[in-house]
Amino acid sequence: MKRIRKDSLKEVLINWALDRTVIAPRRTERGECIYDTFDEAGFTLDIAKPSAPPKRSLFPQSEVIFQIEQGGYRQAVSSSPTLLFGIRPCDHKGLLQSQSFMSQDLDDPYYRAKSEKVLTVVMACPGSMSPTCFCTTTSSGPWAESGFDLQLYDDGDAFLVEIGSKRGFDLVSSSSFEEMDDAKAAEKIRAFQKAAGSRIPIISEVEDAMERLETSNKASDEVWEGFGKKCITCGGCSFVCPTCTCFTVSDRVVSVETGDRIRSWDSCLYAGFTKEASGHNPRRTSALRIKRRHEHKLLYHKDRDHHGGLCTCVGCGRCSDYCPVHIGLIEVAQAICSAKDSAGEEKRYSGGVS
Amino acid sequence: MAGLAATFGSGAMTNSINEMDEAELFFVIGSNTTEQHPLIGTRVINAVERGARLIVVDPRDIPLARYAHMHLRQNIGTDVAVLNGLMNIIIEEGLYDREYVETRTEGFDELKRIVSRYTPRVVEQISGIRADDLMLAAREYAGTGKAMLLYAMGITQHTTGTDNVKTCANLAMLTGHVGRPSTGVNPLRGQNNVQGACDMGGLPVVYTGYQKVGDEPVIQKFSDAWGVDDLDKAPGLTITTMMEAADRGELKALYVMGENPYLSDPDSKHIERALSNLDLLVVQDIFLSETAALADVVLPAACFAEKAGTYTNTERRVQLSCKAVDPPGSARADWEIIQDVCARAGYPMSYADPSEIMAEINRVTPSYAGITYPRLEMGYGLSWPCPNEEHPGTAYLHKDRFSKGLGTFLPCEFKPMAEPPDTEYDFILTTGRMYFQYHTGTMSRRVGILEREAPEPLVEINPEDARKLGIRDRDLVEITSRRGAVKIKAEVTARVPRKVVFSTFHFHEVPINLLTNPAHDPVSGIPEYKGCAVKIRRCA
Repeated sequence: MKRIRKDSLKEVLINWALDRTVIAPRRTERGECIYDTFDEAGFTLDIAKPSAPPKRSLFPQSEVIFQIEQGGYRQAVSSSPTLLFGIRPCDHKGLLQSQSFMSQDLDDPYYRAKSEKVLTVVMACPGSMSPTCFCTTTSSGPWAESGFDLQLYDDGDAFLVEIGSKRGFDLVSSSSFEEMDDAKAAEKIRAFQKAAGSRIPIISEVEDAMERLETSNKASDEVWEGFGKKCITCGGCSFVCPTCTCFTVSDRVVSVETGDRIRSWDSCLYAGFTKEASGHNPRRTSALRIKRRHEHKLLYHKDRDHHGGLCTCVGCGRCSDYCPVHIGLIEVAQAICSAKDSAGEEKRYSGGVS
Repeated sequence: MAGLAATFGSGAMTNSINEMDEAELFFVIGSNTTEQHPLIGTRVINAVERGARLIVVDPRDIPLARYAHMHLRQNIGTDVAVLNGLMNIIIEEGLYDREYVETRTEGFDELKRIVSRYTPRVVEQISGIRADDLMLAAREYAGTGKAMLLYAMGITQHTTGTDNVKTCANLAMLTGHVGRPSTGVNPLRGQNNVQGACDMGGLPVVYTGYQKVGDEPVIQKFSDAWGVDDLDKAPGLTITTMMEAADRGELKALYVMGENPYLSDPDSKHIERALSNLDLLVVQDIFLSETAALADVVLPAACFAEKAGTYTNTERRVQLSCKAVDPPGSARADWEIIQDVCARAGYPMSYADPSEIMAEINRVTPSYAGITYPRLEMGYGLSWPCPNEEHPGTAYLHKDRFSKGLGTFLPCEFKPMAEPPDTEYDFILTTGRMYFQYHTGTMSRRVGILEREAPEPLVEINPEDARKLGIRDRDLVEITSRRGAVKIKAEVTARVPRKVVFSTFHFHEVPINLLTNPAHDPVSGIPEYKGCAVKIRRCA
């Protein structure tokens, strides 16, 4: 086991950034913490929960996948060595789940090329980073079990460094990383994990909602109606979700003879996402689309590799943080649980006012 | 704008968006809030969920109406009658704020005299809103301490737009709902910087900060600031009067920036004639719009991400916008283009960057004096008035006194729409926007996902009317007004009341403004987009 003093970390990152892009927390001139290209002057450890998950490093908001030239086209697969520093365990779990998803059935060469060149340095959480954190519920934090290259545990003026891969081992070869007694480190990590886990409350409704969706799917229609009524179809929940990877494909004319085929983020909250060529739409209302989204997180996941997670939600809580009308996974799970099974009975859910 | 300036002395949203979180009641008239100001719409929805009351006054069954405790569906163009009716009830039942009326306003007797004629029964006949409902709404609005009135283009885009605004202001003043937190008269501006454009004097009658064009001290101030001595003392023309003047051959040259009047102005045939009658048409835009295609000179401009500057949003908040990428090709920031045009016209300007322009705005505009670049760079914007660099900005206007001193009741009589339906043109066409497209589509129709959501123009028609006319959903119909005709697919929906059809002006394939009436408000010049007479038939 290794350890690194916090005041040596910047030097390490400068070195890591010599031959790869390092994405790390940064404090802007206005004092906000963002997660962006490593910047020596703005580097900070005061990141809490970044506003966006790190998925854009593997799955950019938009990317050229084909370049069209006169007489033909060629595939454009882009990738470059990248290190994601300080990502949270929930987000790391999201990356692992997405990697599995993007390689099942069919190979996605665009995603794979980037994911092969990504190194992950996870920062274990000492507790909730915001009131909406629920990784202990979804078994996706507050520390990563596996699949990382390095994982850091806060230990006062230093970090304990857990090595998760050969590539991780190579990263810590510099003298800035001090050797540490393995048994002592393991004991400290166990204590960290115990304390951290106990600080993040379980939201029992999430598992209850999964159970309810499994057994009495029909009963919750009014829940979806209530949320559908107020959704403004911004799609923001998909864009901030660590495990949402749906995309659409469009063409862009560059010149008379050339063009690009681009894929960009899409959202299942848009009507056009499921609209068929005939005009028929199997998910024709917001209510049905919100239902679909949450079923994909809580119900249709049995055949997927969750990397130890409960389902395909990793409990980051961002949908609850950012939805302007409070249609987050937490609120949805609570509504599913508080709605009565049979129609006509009193509903405690307050998603709509008539 | 003109209506609020006359009543209060200031033409802007009186209160701020954050105050919505504390409001106890929203009175929303002529605003499809969730579709056109979705984030403000979410504030209203969240407020209703925590217990605030919501009264929606709108002819269409807009999405926000699903949250309304009362949805009053007035006949199109009868807003003055409805609002006068509310005031009639409020005065009749003694629900108005006597102390406020006595100490803060003038003109109450005249208001009382005029609204006395608008009894609930009379208003029911004019507006179609049941007298009982009107009474309930009046009592709720007057009886709630923190009541915010929101309106948008459903109020302004009428030949009586200025009257509509004045009447909204009258109602708010009568009940003491101005000059306190979470109250006020709140016009939701239709574009991200239309407030800023007005603030900067993008109106024919004022310089920056609403300093009047004809006022001697103002002329002196700007003459000194700009080193010129022949500033025109006469107000300029509004866009509607410009088009009329061009049509008559009196206006020779037009310089259009970021506007697409060929599609957005009423009576497109008239606009085409007017534009082709010009000696010179210059269009400065980010894309080759339908209007730009007619221009003698096209000046390519940078889009929002390609230039720096500020925007002033609907709550008077001036916010900094930074440049993210370089403009493509020969496109440049608007200010750079204007600077070069001015230089070639014999008036050299030498601003190095937008911050120098802002410094000049600070010098000549009292309400913007404290909104300096260094302060904007450090925070999240400042709301005017902000008279000096120590001032924190103003969340709500007219605290303790109105900008002009006493607030003036300017009562208005109801006037019917300019072109009411008759036996031949028996429907009213009302126009607006939809969530997924923006204005004439110059920008939004280039976005694949938006186009996927809303690929084609539709006209909404009530199921009863559709049945009588043999129109089924998605049938092609022809709509004809006295000015033109279009063919468009029908959407059969109860969203529109009977004898009303609704469509948008986003689609060049069906330029709906071929039909609309150029008759406009005498003060503001805003045309009556919200109502003209049409007939409709199913295409064989």
